[in-house]
Amino acid sequence: MKTTVSIIIAFLFLCTSAQLRAQSDETSLFGSLQLIFFNQKSHMMFTQVPPGENPQLNEERSSFAIQQMDLFLQKHIGEDFTAFVDLEYQLNYSSEHRWGSFSIQEAWLHYALSDEFGFKIGMLYPAFNNLNEIKNRLALLPYIFRPGIYERLLSRLFLSEDYLPERAFVQLHGGIPLGEVFFDYAVYTGNAEGSYISHPDENGAPVNDHNSNFEFITGVDPTEFNLKLFGGRIGIRARDEQFKAGVSLTHDYDNLRDTTRYPQIYEGPRAPLRGDARRMRLGGDVSGRVGPVRFEAEAIKVFYDYDAAERIGVDLDLDFFYAMAGYSFTDALFVYGSYEGGSAVFGERWTHRTVTGGAAYQINDFVTAKAQYIVYKQFLDESLHIDEATIRFVFLGLSLVL
Amino acid sequence: MNTTLRIGLFLTLLVCASHTMEAQTAVIVNRSVPASSMGLKELLDIYTLNKAHWDDGSRITVFDLKRGKTKEAFYEYIDMSEEDLQRIWLRKQFTGKARPPRSISNEEELIDMVSRTPGAIGYVTERNIPKKSNVRIVARVKQR
Repeated sequence: MKTTVSIIIAFLFLCTSAQLRAQSDETSLFGSLQLIFFNQKSHMMFTQVPPGENPQLNEERSSFAIQQMDLFLQKHIGEDFTAFVDLEYQLNYSSEHRWGSFSIQEAWLHYALSDEFGFKIGMLYPAFNNLNEIKNRLALLPYIFRPGIYERLLSRLFLSEDYLPERAFVQLHGGIPLGEVFFDYAVYTGNAEGSYISHPDENGAPVNDHNSNFEFITGVDPTEFNLKLFGGRIGIRARDEQFKAGVSLTHDYDNLRDTTRYPQIYEGPRAPLRGDARRMRLGGDVSGRVGPVRFEAEAIKVFYDYDAAERIGVDLDLDFFYAMAGYSFTDALFVYGSYEGGSAVFGERWTHRTVTGGAAYQINDFVTAKAQYIVYKQFLDESLHIDEATIRFVFLGLSLVL
Repeated sequence: MNTTLRIGLFLTLLVCASHTMEAQTAVIVNRSVPASSMGLKELLDIYTLNKAHWDDGSRITVFDLKRGKTKEAFYEYIDMSEEDLQRIWLRKQFTGKARPPRSISNEEELIDMVSRTPGAIGYVTERNIPKKSNVRIVARVKQR
């Protein structure tokens, strides 16, 4: 009996001291959650089909889903340090059913030497255009379906890392006040793109491309490049944050052996391209608000400098743009339209255009109802011999601040 | 008392009454803060969370009122809407750049919090500030 009481007292003491420690540490837990219902109608026309098969394909599906949940942990340490972690669950995540995915999107320590200069060390979303930093903060966006290269539901069509630096590991940054604006700057470095680090082989098992010395740990950069990812952004931001514009640039190498790439290029006449292609990604962004009108736009151009491609006359460049304009009818109701497009080449030029219209209604500080209608069109995809594909989505969703 | 004198007295009382009804919003800081006065830009930078440290390097803790005329007057002074500030705060919170201000229900509690928190800043109606408190007024805004 005495032992039981002692254990209970010790347990209560531990609980109390842990609670006190947590309070004194001031660790904050918050997050965002987006619940959706969608209807998708697809129509595809094929140029090459076996005799007797229908050259057209029509599909329709509807579903409910937990689109995404992000849990953030934040802790201020003393006057100058801040630790931050972003844990992300996607698409009804269940390890039991092998649904969706769970990942650490960010985990970093920030040191602020002053308000004008600080640096982050750890896994982080680097500064590139406007949306990259908040692409998975769905409660901040009016969209359910984000612009194509940011939208993970389209990850088969757009490999984000082809357009964006998805992660960096060290970033120096700050905002210097200059009259009515801040001059923002950021420079960062990190690993080569994620597909170097792990991608499936023909049996679906993850493999590293280059360096077998790193087999004992996973997720590290296996490349032999000393100069991996380097990038930065400079821009201006109005003091009241109602306007922002900037230019971003990265330099890295693209792993063209990546079997997860789309369109795939590791077979046939494009086989000589299997290697490491030097590339630059150039981005421009502008966003702001004038009275009830809100706008944002981004453009990205990806340039390749790769001898193997030049020798066989293949243009590898990519481009993407989007523009959104909307109107706040009340403090709670925002209605918008957007247009986006771009082209990918890799020896098989295909272009895409997307038109969307949507609304976001803020029910209270923590709940926003969203609706969005999307028409996505894709032309001339030679790898699948698709002449034209049209996909229409209707999304309804609730976005929650946790 | 002749009529002119009566009218004059009435007008004087009216002016005095309207003057006392026109409350003044005061921006207050904890006495540990190394600032004796503050301009509009500095207040805007603090409430948009772009300025997170005082000149001596200590961290700024920002307090906000949940509602009321004092809040309206202060937001009007810094020329920001509640909706815009909420949007800015949420983005900075979700990107780990800053913590949003702590929202306080009443002015007495806000004064108490600012007086007890080193590096703190907030705003209240000036007449609600007790004579003996650990806060200092760094700016004044007239309420309409």
